[in-house]
Amino acid sequence: MRGLLTAEVRKLWTIWSSYVVLLIVVVIDLLFGFIIAFAPGGRHRGAAGLVPHGSSQWFTNVFAVLDNSRLLALVLGVLIITGEYRHKTVTPTFLAEPRRGRVVTAKLGVSFGAGLVLGAITMLTGLVIGLVLVGLKVHSCLSFAGVGQGVSQAMCSAQHGLYYVANTHDMWHDWSQIAPGVILGTGLFAIYGLGLGALLKNQIVAIVVGLIFTLVVESIIVAVWPTIGEYLPGQAATALEDAARTSFSGTAQLLPWWGGAGMLLVYGIALALVGTFTTLRSDIT
Amino acid sequence: MPTIQARGLTKRFGGKVLAVDHLDFDAIPGGVTGFLGPNGAGKTTTLRMLLGLVTPTSGSVLVDGHRYRDLPDPTERIGAVLEASGFHPARTARNHLRIVANMANLPFSRVEECLDLVGLSEVADRKVGGFSMGMRQRLELARALMGKPDILVLDEPANGLDPQGIAWLRDFLRFYASEKPVSGDGRIVIVSSHLLSEAQLIVDDVIVLTAGRLAAQGRLADLLAGTKRSVRVRTPDAERLVHALKAAGLPAVFQDGFVVCEGCTPELVGPVMVENRIEVHEMVSSTESLESLFFSLTGGEPAMAGQPAAPMGDYRRFNDGPAPPPAQAQMPSSSPGPVGGQR
Repeated sequence: MRGLLTAEVRKLWTIWSSYVVLLIVVVIDLLFGFIIAFAPGGRHRGAAGLVPHGSSQWFTNVFAVLDNSRLLALVLGVLIITGEYRHKTVTPTFLAEPRRGRVVTAKLGVSFGAGLVLGAITMLTGLVIGLVLVGLKVHSCLSFAGVGQGVSQAMCSAQHGLYYVANTHDMWHDWSQIAPGVILGTGLFAIYGLGLGALLKNQIVAIVVGLIFTLVVESIIVAVWPTIGEYLPGQAATALEDAARTSFSGTAQLLPWWGGAGMLLVYGIALALVGTFTTLRSDIT
Repeated sequence: MPTIQARGLTKRFGGKVLAVDHLDFDAIPGGVTGFLGPNGAGKTTTLRMLLGLVTPTSGSVLVDGHRYRDLPDPTERIGAVLEASGFHPARTARNHLRIVANMANLPFSRVEECLDLVGLSEVADRKVGGFSMGMRQRLELARALMGKPDILVLDEPANGLDPQGIAWLRDFLRFYASEKPVSGDGRIVIVSSHLLSEAQLIVDDVIVLTAGRLAAQGRLADLLAGTKRSVRVRTPDAERLVHALKAAGLPAVFQDGFVVCEGCTPELVGPVMVENRIEVHEMVSSTESLESLFFSLTGGEPAMAGQPAAPMGDYRRFNDGPAPPPAQAQMPSSSPGPVGGQR
């Protein structure tokens, strides 16, 4: 199994598409992070009311948006298995290890690792974003008149408002609260992607199904039947973060963090298992 | 001693197309076995069943008494060069082989040896996407040889190779089959091919498939020995020779400037000519070629079991057919004979 794992890791780092996924993650993280940071009110996902720039809640929102990286982890998981079929490298792979279940097991392990790396890079990017925001001394004033941005501390005091300025302490506190959940969720989402890929085998179909389900179908189910919704992969991953997040003010119904982790693991392994005994057993011609 | 044993091997694709039909064969170590048959005879399907890539519908094909998937170290038992095997275009040749080395727990030094053997060392760090067909074929051979296997299976290996490459491969396969590794029985080398003239130069044994069934199996020399032989003589005294041969009880005819004696050997014809003091300018003894043996074994058979195949069209009509009248775009329906014949 060690050889199989090493081979799977080598497969990943010897092709450029893996680095492209990494690059996309970093670019999207920077984009989303700064957009949320400078959006008026800094709203994010059901956070009620206005969030003053520079507050701890504001940092939480900035970091929480980075969990979108899990969509790319899902794509990476899909690529890890469907890429073999697409480029027909599945032939040499199954020649060297004809027990296909062992290959899938190694791929499950490696996609989890790759997902964790993706999550870690996401949160490192988040740290960079946070440090930049602290460096820019982003600040605002919360007073009876509402949230004022770019108001000086003196003017804020004159209005009897609360003055916020982005500081390292808040940033670090919020980052360390959110990071574990995002990293674990990203890792588990890669397993989920691998399961999807193992079941559907076709790269494009698996990516489209995975993204549409997560982005569209799941949102609808969550809105209509929240009791079912909390067991779905996306909400399960959010549950991981929420345990760490202190000031989440959304209304969504979520499982405890270990329940979310368990659900994601079940999705990934169950899909991979069904895939191993159905699609992956088919003839390689 | 390496063995390959197929018993009642059958593959039906999608419940309909019968690609391989109750096939029994054994491969013999120490020589190159040709796996011959027309397109669609089931060669590739059989080899892929042997390698565990395709699951047989019924029957079995065993390597050293085991199914491929039950071999503990498949890479070290059997190497395969397959046509539709894949490479990631963005991966280098060296990394492609290192992945195999990881999977089979082989040292990386083996990667360098194999690259060296097939002459790809210099381009080992180039991406496979830029490789020519021949270079990919060499890389595929290098991959097959990674585990120094006692059994080597090659599906149409000459495809994409230039004449030098083919000659090299021919010598290599002969060497590899005869080299006695550990057991002392030589190795099994199976080469599938539809290029008979090429195969005839390499193989010692043949397994001939047609329509998914075994048409013949044995040593090529034995199969050819049982076939027709003939002697052709060029002589100014043709008429006298024909008479003399007939008088000796041999069938002789004069055709195309030669006296042809079907089923004769030079040992039979020679004494007759000496006895009658007939001047000889040329004498050729020929045995039936693998090609004609092949046609006699597979000729007229449909390409796939249970499916009548349309024969190829008559190419002589291709150029000589009546030209369509200039005003009409289509051939008139009364024009003689369609290009594709019908059974």
